[in-house]
Amino acid sequence: MDTSWLLYALNLAYALATLGLTTLGLAVVFGLLGVMNMAHGEFVMLGAYAVVIVQSWGWPIATAMPLAMLVCGVLGYAVERWLIRPLYARPFDTLLATWGLAMVMRKTVEAVYGRGYRNIESTLSAPIDLGGVQYPGYRLALIALAVVLMVCLALWYRRSTMGLRVRAMTGNPVLAQALGIDTRRLASQTFVIGVVLAGAAGVLLAPLVRIEPGIGVDYLLDSFFVLVVGGLGTLGGFGGGVGVIGGTQSVVSSIAGQTSGYAVVLILSILFLWLKPNGLFGRR
Amino acid sequence: MDRRIFLHGIAAAAAASSAVVRAASPLNVAVMLPMSGPAGLFGPSAKACAELAVQTINARGGVLGRSINALFGDAGLPPAEASQTALKLWKGQGAQVVIGMHDSAVRGALVGLFKGQVPYFYTPVYEGGECARGTYVNGETPAQQLAPVIPWLASERKPKRWYMIGNDYIWGRNTNAAAKGYIARTGAQVVGDEYLPFTADNFDSSLARIRDSGADAVLVSLVGGASVTFNKAFASFGLADKAIRLGSLLEENTLAGIGLANARNLYSSAGYFANIETPAAKAFSDAYFKRFGAQAPALNGLAESVYEGFLMLEAIAARAKSLDVAKMEPASEGASYSGPRGAVTMHARHVDQDIYLADVGEKGFRVVKTFPHIASGQTCKV
Repeated sequence: MDTSWLLYALNLAYALATLGLTTLGLAVVFGLLGVMNMAHGEFVMLGAYAVVIVQSWGWPIATAMPLAMLVCGVLGYAVERWLIRPLYARPFDTLLATWGLAMVMRKTVEAVYGRGYRNIESTLSAPIDLGGVQYPGYRLALIALAVVLMVCLALWYRRSTMGLRVRAMTGNPVLAQALGIDTRRLASQTFVIGVVLAGAAGVLLAPLVRIEPGIGVDYLLDSFFVLVVGGLGTLGGFGGGVGVIGGTQSVVSSIAGQTSGYAVVLILSILFLWLKPNGLFGRR
Repeated sequence: MDRRIFLHGIAAAAAASSAVVRAASPLNVAVMLPMSGPAGLFGPSAKACAELAVQTINARGGVLGRSINALFGDAGLPPAEASQTALKLWKGQGAQVVIGMHDSAVRGALVGLFKGQVPYFYTPVYEGGECARGTYVNGETPAQQLAPVIPWLASERKPKRWYMIGNDYIWGRNTNAAAKGYIARTGAQVVGDEYLPFTADNFDSSLARIRDSGADAVLVSLVGGASVTFNKAFASFGLADKAIRLGSLLEENTLAGIGLANARNLYSSAGYFANIETPAAKAFSDAYFKRFGAQAPALNGLAESVYEGFLMLEAIAARAKSLDVAKMEPASEGASYSGPRGAVTMHARHVDQDIYLADVGEKGFRVVKTFPHIASGQTCKV
């Protein structure tokens, strides 16, 4: 019996889930604060290294998650306070500053852990049989987790007070401040949440992906394409971007090969930047 | 100052100056290694191998009685910049020999720069076909790595359907093109081949095609990170027990990224592995870790090839009694030495060397078969 369709469907779901997870952090930071965080991928990389580190200490792999969140949170707070805050409303300067930050993070990890590839020894990625299709169990868990996380985040953003304040701040920062919202603190919290999400994505992906200090750029580019296509600052834009970029890449790659898949993504991004610079569901 | 220490000092100075007299002018050798860029991973281990080679050769009298002084240049840059670096070492700092371990794009630029005026030793595994005058190649070619290995695998593992995947550039394509002939001769068929850009980091669609093709063997001509991601995903889809994998650029770092658990039925073919069990290879690795400590950058075939390049320089210079390319060209034919890889002989400015086929055990690569003295399959006129 032909079970290929199931494999392709799962691959598509996995592509969307991983793209969603890695983009989420940048969607928060870039979409809500307008900070093009070029070090986004490096926070994902830190998350992956957190797993490498706890494994080398002989700790259970699950402890990597709190470690990564702590490290990324503290680092994110410091970065927002001393690097980003003086540069709000100067997008190009922020871009350069965070690009520099990315290099420092990459080189520091290189200096401490070397440039070599790392691997997470775990049984998580072992295949399980799914009606004739061998599929890695961990991927299935990841797909489910990504869905749950997105739903929770959407609810939080729509329903919670902080979500409301964030929306007020991004809609009109001056008015929000006038209404007594501490936008400075809110911005700091938003940034920290964004980079912690990036770090968490790194932890979750670590057993499945290549790990070395330079992996950040891959995640940055894909996330950037998603936000270009989807538009900034709305859930619809985020979902739409993930769907268009992840879906196109996965489907075109399956039909016509990886080179074509990648080319179509690049062409789509260029067309959007050119013809629809606010994306599918842009706020502005 | 104590009189005895003073006298010791005098004696040492005298000994040093006599050494200087003996080797009137040190031989400057430019060593072009990837210290940055994607291959920068191999920089530290390659540099250490170069330093060990310099120490070893100088200890036995240097090259033509001159002690070697290595000048390092970064070859991990774009070809134009790397050739600027080489030009500075050659014309600016007086390098008389160049030893290079870097990609083919940089090699092309350096060959165009040197135009046979300076002997150039190119050491890493590569796609074959470099016949420029004054260029001496130590690296394994696809013919060398695959011609003996594919028939051996055919008799041992009996694959009938090969799938070929590679990065979309000259090495990946040439390697797979060479493999096609060897596979056909074993009676097996090639059921698919595809070439991916270096940016590819998701191989799901390729793996689905491999699964659908019913392949029972896969030739993996992916490089570095792509090979890591591909092989991890390959195992996670349960394909490791359905198909054997063969790679000719699967070295120790790549395997560390793949993980031993994901490397069942994975074979690697190369002229060197860090844990070859021959006395010469053991002596080399012992000397390496004695010099650089137990925490030294891990040995691998690419780094070790730099050491081979120095040994080939020593062998050809001894036959030519000169570092003049016009004299080295004829002397290179048949030049030989015995090094960590075993006996190496140069023909057509490429080398006949032993090829090792390894699978992966609990401690990493495990040589399962040695093919002695395999020709490079190159036909450069000398």
